[in-house]
Amino acid sequence: MTQTTDPVANASTDAVLRVAGLTKRFGATLALDRAELELRPGTVHALVGGNGCGKSTTIKVLAGVHRADAGRIEVADQGWEAGHYDAKAGRAAGLRFVHQDLGLFPELSIAENFALDAGYPTGPGRRVRWGALQRRVAQLLAAYEIDADPRTPVAALRPAQRTLVAICRALQDSEADRQLVLVLDEPTATLPQHESAVLLDAVRRRADLGQTVLMVSHRMPEVLAVCDDFTVFRDGRTVAALVGRRPTERELVGHMTGTAPADAVDGGTTPAVPAHDADVVLAVHGLHGGPLRGVDLEVRRGEVVGVAGLVGSGRSSLLRTVFGEHAPGAGTVTVRGSGGAVAAVGGVRARMDAGVALVPEDRAGEAAFPELTIRDNLSAPVLRRYRRLRGMDRRRERADAAALVARYGVRTPSADAPLASLSGGNQQKVVLARWLQRDPALLLLDEPTQGVDVMSRADIYRTVREAAAGGCAVLVASSDLLELSTLCDRVLVLQDGRVAAEATGAQLTPDSLTALTQSSAGAPAGEPLGAPR
Amino acid sequence: MSLTDTPPLSSAAAGSAAPEERAAAPAPGRGAHGGVKGLFERHALLLLLVAVAVFFSVLPASADVFPTQENLSVLLGDRATVALLALSVILPLVCGYFDFSLGAIAATSSVLTAGLMSFHDLPLGLAMTAGIGVGVLVGAVNGLLVTRFGLNAFVTTLGMATLLGGLVQWYTGGQTILLGLDPRLAEFGSTTLLGIPQVVYVVAVVAALLWYLLAQTPFGRSLYAIGSNPRSAALVGIRVQRSVWSTFVLAGGIAGLVGVLSLARAGSATADPGTGLLFPALAAAFLGATAVRPGFFNVVGTLIGVLFVSVSVSGLTLAGADTWASPVFNGAALLVAVGLSSYLGRSRGVRTV
Repeated sequence: MTQTTDPVANASTDAVLRVAGLTKRFGATLALDRAELELRPGTVHALVGGNGCGKSTTIKVLAGVHRADAGRIEVADQGWEAGHYDAKAGRAAGLRFVHQDLGLFPELSIAENFALDAGYPTGPGRRVRWGALQRRVAQLLAAYEIDADPRTPVAALRPAQRTLVAICRALQDSEADRQLVLVLDEPTATLPQHESAVLLDAVRRRADLGQTVLMVSHRMPEVLAVCDDFTVFRDGRTVAALVGRRPTERELVGHMTGTAPADAVDGGTTPAVPAHDADVVLAVHGLHGGPLRGVDLEVRRGEVVGVAGLVGSGRSSLLRTVFGEHAPGAGTVTVRGSGGAVAAVGGVRARMDAGVALVPEDRAGEAAFPELTIRDNLSAPVLRRYRRLRGMDRRRERADAAALVARYGVRTPSADAPLASLSGGNQQKVVLARWLQRDPALLLLDEPTQGVDVMSRADIYRTVREAAAGGCAVLVASSDLLELSTLCDRVLVLQDGRVAAEATGAQLTPDSLTALTQSSAGAPAGEPLGAPR
Repeated sequence: MSLTDTPPLSSAAAGSAAPEERAAAPAPGRGAHGGVKGLFERHALLLLLVAVAVFFSVLPASADVFPTQENLSVLLGDRATVALLALSVILPLVCGYFDFSLGAIAATSSVLTAGLMSFHDLPLGLAMTAGIGVGVLVGAVNGLLVTRFGLNAFVTTLGMATLLGGLVQWYTGGQTILLGLDPRLAEFGSTTLLGIPQVVYVVAVVAALLWYLLAQTPFGRSLYAIGSNPRSAALVGIRVQRSVWSTFVLAGGIAGLVGVLSLARAGSATADPGTGLLFPALAAAFLGATAVRPGFFNVVGTLIGVLFVSVSVSGLTLAGADTWASPVFNGAALLVAVGLSSYLGRSRGVRTV
């Protein structure tokens, strides 16, 4: 690879990281469109925006995961055309990343986690000098005010401490004469509130000591509390760069969603809200457990209700608790099934008997039987239907499978092909068909079109709407706000484990939903939205 | 190429089957069960068995003895215990778990059944029940450790096998239990019905029941689902832990029966840890997973696997091969079988390593 690394003098400003004109295209999608970003040394800089605005792509370009199509990246006193930038160059120039999953080895000690990153100090005969390692790590921990022994396994630390250890590890080769830039990708997404506060405090103190930090976060109150500068992305473009000025939450969310959310463009296609007297199929009251802190909601026959919320807001937990996989810590979940069966307690099987179905988020890990045939995958929850004294009724099972494959448009030469031979979209159709053949009273969908191609996505939406039209109650959790606004009759916004807001009718646009999920108050600037329940 | 012209080579032919299927693999219709390739894949082991049998019937060195009714009777009778043990092995394997203790369970059952009659003058029925019962009990403990406590099945059952081997040594004092056994047992083991040893009928009955259980009941089908993906299985309402536990219990019970049968066949119980029985059974189970329903452990394939290994070893012995030929053949067959079944790619493999 020819490296045209030409360190150029940095004429205009003293920016420690500068991204200019960054453009990245994925197929037909323009993920980044001449995006700009500039970090002043010694500041905490927030990079914010709605889902799909391009901030993750930017981080991935900086980390060298993706290569940008055009643009320029400058770190400290070096610069590259974006096409020539890679992970090695960024690291050498002083970029350090701490991703959401931290990349720590939980069973190993803090000291070993440091050593695995930077190498073990060795003596004669490649012997590990444990004493030296521990002394050095202890010094670093002290400098970062992490109150822990280097020999402690990472798993024994509190969540905020773990993140701090990851940060400390990323910056361990920092020296007085060398500025490193720390990139934190959603550092607080999975932390509870008090842990976030501890972490953000520590980050702020590092910045006051001169550390430059770029922080990507969805939580507005947090970035507002800790950051100096703000860059807002929308549709792959930089729409606002607020330097040295702390905006209001309203202003920030306004930039993220655009000033005036489009009027109900597709109001005509938005399904009508079903009559209120329709049966309530699912009633959840005061549900606690995991991240949930008192969820109340109802879903009626024939209704498609969406659940929006940031990572860690409890979307998946809600669905899984309703399916009976987790027992609720407190509160009630009542399901009124098709035959009037009421299930208030019980595990997965009791819920299934009451007519509840779950399509989980992780298809490969939790829904698929990859090497079994499509027929086996379809019949897994209804095996008892085919039981005869002389054995399984394979003829009927085959006929049913063929009918389901045809009805739900699964593209396969035969229902006897292994599931793994299908594309992601077609696998998802099989998983949906698996449950729809039971005529569920309540269908729970967790990220129903993740990893699904555009064509299959349309098929899946149609299938879900048809099921609802047939009387099924549907609860959809998704991080794709466009999906929720297309598919749902109304969308509930989960925040801090509660339903914080509800959007219906003309508010069902990705922009309004972005505003609702990002805003802590529930009602964003400019647009009067549905009152929080 | 016509299938009947398969060259009559024993182990070499097993090796040459791989390139045949490698050619088939990238084709778009992979996994579709129709077509000549799929048909060949499912019946390759059976064809190989026939080929090996024909080969030893024709080979001058073994042609006099091999194709006789007496030899067939001895062969079937001697391998009945291995066949039954192989059937017990596939039960946990279908769910993705290894049970390494089944050979030791058979040995324990055999020694206990003999000991209760010989040392304690217990009646035959009670002694047999105790032998099978100890298998069920050990299986239940294994299953509990693996499911409830989440211990690694391979290590757990290996530990159990070692422990049982030690107990067998202690119980017998290292001696063979020969005297004081109910003669009816040895009589059952040594007589034939319609020219076939009676023990073979026991194997046939158990095999038929297991086939029905695995292929023809919702329970059996859900075991394959667990083997494919336990998380998915739980989320379609399958009681994963309970199902896995019951495969260990059932396998333990069958292994207990193997102990009784081997006592009937041998007329005595030796202080043997039982591994000699387990390895050919494992080889047969893995060979069986390449046949009938390729990529999945199944009853009919396992029986073909046992016959294939038995016929080959018997033929080699009769043809004058040394005693080392038998373990070498068993080992090679196991390696080829494991290689083939993981190549076939539909088996998730066993969740032990």
